[in-house]
Amino acid sequence: VIMPPHLRKLALTAHVASSVGWLGAVGAFLALAVVGLTSQDAQTVRGAYRVMEPSAWFVLVPLAFASLLTGLVQSLGTTWGLFSHYWVLFKLLINLVATVVLLTYMETFSFMARVAADPSADLGDVRNVSPLLHAAAALLLLLIATILAVYKPRGMTRYGRRRHEQRTVLMP
Amino acid sequence: MPENDAQTPGGTPRWVKVFGIVALVVVVVVVVMLITGRGDHDPGRHTVSGDSRATALFAVVRQP
Repeated sequence: VIMPPHLRKLALTAHVASSVGWLGAVGAFLALAVVGLTSQDAQTVRGAYRVMEPSAWFVLVPLAFASLLTGLVQSLGTTWGLFSHYWVLFKLLINLVATVVLLTYMETFSFMARVAADPSADLGDVRNVSPLLHAAAALLLLLIATILAVYKPRGMTRYGRRRHEQRTVLMP
Repeated sequence: MPENDAQTPGGTPRWVKVFGIVALVVVVVVVVMLITGRGDHDPGRHTVSGDSRATALFAVVRQP
């Protein structure tokens, strides 16, 4: 099903907004991770790790799913298709990997928030390198996805080439 | 981007092969790290000061 132009624009706007929003939110998490590791103020350090969990639930997770869903709509509702072009396929894989890692990482956010909320926990125990590593990796992945979306490098999959040939035969 | 457009005789662009190889290397590194325990995703593994964090947390958990 190919979407009409006005609907395609709306779907594209939703996909760009959610995907770039996700990228920006990960950038904010990277900043929080740096603050948590480097700040000399105990309340700031504890606050940084405590705010990560609710922020992830209310911002990162919805944006990840919004990006995935709008991406599926965008690819299936246009001539690009989901499995026809390598750049679309790579974007889908990046999105799926990032979303699955994020969902499994929610347990870690919860753990870090509990340690940060514990007044008897030493500040060295509250500080954690993990969010910095994960946010940096996520930022890199989402940047690659953005570059793929903008440049759309050529290359059709075997499935895409077959589909293209069938269409050419049906509609010469 | 002429480099990206380059197709090998089999039809797969060069950039796809490079992407595939890099992705495979990353997956292998992550799997090796998980197996050897270096990338263990136990939430407390990455804490700055190590094992004492567990003591502090579990002391709180044990309290009635």
